[in-house]
Amino acid sequence: MGALSNVSPTVVDMMRRCVEVHVSSCNERLVPSLMRAMAIRVDQAADSVTVYLAKRQADQLLHDIHNCGQLAVIVCEPITWRSVQIKASSVTMRVASETDRAVLEDYRVALEREIARVRGPVPVVRAILAYQLSDIVLVEFEPDEIFEQSPGANAGKLMAIRQ
Amino acid sequence: MTRLSEIRRCFEGAIASVVATCSPDGKPNVVNLSQVYFVDDQHVALSFQFFGKTRQNILANPHAVVLLIDPKTGAYWRLHMRYLRTDASGAVFERMKAQLAGIASHTGMQDVFKLQGADIYRVNEIEPVVGDPLPEPPVKANPLGSVRVCGERLSNCSSLEEAFNCALQILAGDLDFKHAMILMLDHATQRLYVVASSGYSSSGVGSEIEVGQGVIGVSVRENTPIRIGHMTNASSYSQAIRTTINPAAIGTDDMTEIPYPGLASPHSQLAVPIASGGLVLGALFVESQYPLRFGFEEEDAIVAIAAHLGSLARWMDAGSDSRDAHLPAAAVQATSGAPLSVRHFSANDSVFVDQKYLIKGVAGAIIWKLLNEYSAGRNEFSNRELRLDPGIGLPYLDDNLETRLILLRRRLEDFGPDLRIEKLGRGRFRLSVTRPISLLEAATA
Repeated sequence: MGALSNVSPTVVDMMRRCVEVHVSSCNERLVPSLMRAMAIRVDQAADSVTVYLAKRQADQLLHDIHNCGQLAVIVCEPITWRSVQIKASSVTMRVASETDRAVLEDYRVALEREIARVRGPVPVVRAILAYQLSDIVLVEFEPDEIFEQSPGANAGKLMAIRQ
Repeated sequence: MTRLSEIRRCFEGAIASVVATCSPDGKPNVVNLSQVYFVDDQHVALSFQFFGKTRQNILANPHAVVLLIDPKTGAYWRLHMRYLRTDASGAVFERMKAQLAGIASHTGMQDVFKLQGADIYRVNEIEPVVGDPLPEPPVKANPLGSVRVCGERLSNCSSLEEAFNCALQILAGDLDFKHAMILMLDHATQRLYVVASSGYSSSGVGSEIEVGQGVIGVSVRENTPIRIGHMTNASSYSQAIRTTINPAAIGTDDMTEIPYPGLASPHSQLAVPIASGGLVLGALFVESQYPLRFGFEEEDAIVAIAAHLGSLARWMDAGSDSRDAHLPAAAVQATSGAPLSVRHFSANDSVFVDQKYLIKGVAGAIIWKLLNEYSAGRNEFSNRELRLDPGIGLPYLDDNLETRLILLRRRLEDFGPDLRIEKLGRGRFRLSVTRPISLLEAATA
């Protein structure tokens, strides 16, 4: 059973709401790579998470994920800073197609509205989330571990693990 | 090559940053940061508050990457960096500590939101990340010209009260800082009291805050400027930590009798100590309902103006005495109407007029003395006689008498029409009373 199945429904709900998503991996010299994702899709039934990365911004990160298979994803609700970190060691990647546009657009519109409430003017948020569909790469994975990552003493506490 | 100082807007904390590290066995880790601190063109600092995975990783493998976003354009920058050391003292640590404490104090977290260290990183590469950023905003007017005008005008002021008014006028006018206040420090009680303000619905003169309370109190305690560019972001981060802390560990705010005049929902704040000769005398504070209102240049301007005020406050206070301690009795003018009931509580020198709180502390002792002398037939007084009166309790050094008299004069103006202090000349003033007075010494409050 995957880690996503072992985590509480409220956590999954939070991951599906308006959240900011950042993805990290590392190379063979243990140098980390990092970029913001342009969208996220959480499928608890399939125990799968998909993050959408812009290749032009995340070239090194995509290389590292491809080479080492390891990735860490932080998912954060902007208003509350409530956060979880997901770790995985096996991924599949594919280039986005027209059928993925709806996920990207829904995410962009929702997050524009959410971030603008706490962090500033909409045009800036729109610039942060600008993408071209042909440039998007989908990284799909089954989480190995999910950690509490909200700021504070409990950050890093294991919430769920794949069994 | 881009320098860190060229992307300093990214360090304002307006948009959260993210740091990625990697364990020795090749597992990546990524966490949010409330703020990345600019140290110099080669170094940044991250706060060390909890011993988490990021810290474990950098101690074993010093490589780290931070993703920054320019809050004005949305441009991304990646900092490729190497952990060097953790500072638990020194200028960078103290400044980070003051800033964090100022933010934490807003949510009552000042006693539990402690900085353990400043993790210092060397930035090896500043990578511009391709994207679709907005054009650069128009260049703002350099505030240096306004600072020069302020300096020239302050040099021509003949009293401290005039200097306070002049500084607030320059702030509101030339610099367009609509909400500002000047607070002075009572060293004996370690409380700051508002002596002048501009832009608020009520002046708040006489309201007090403790040293260490809020952005202003922490700025004075640490003797360093604190600038917060995005209160919502900073406070919600602090609030997130608060939810993980035992509520019993969190103190409650003190009440003050005179309402504090600050904005209800500020988005930018800047507090700068007013100091002279190494002694903190008070604070100059500006705030705005807009985020990112005060940048590095505005901080420089406020620091320069506060330095002028510090020098003037010390100098004018020292030179505020007339030669004669006791002035000859002048004729007290006739009064009419119902008597003003004035009650004094000696425990804290608080004074109530017609059951309403007027003022306390040294300023309370002063008005009580003046009213007693007035009842005995005098209405003109000197600064010197106040300094010589042991009953008032002024410290023998740095007594801030001039600012206490400004506070009292303005508080009386806010309070009502019946009591006034009018300046007569250097070190001399008159108490003006329009109604008969009835004085009552009360034992306890």
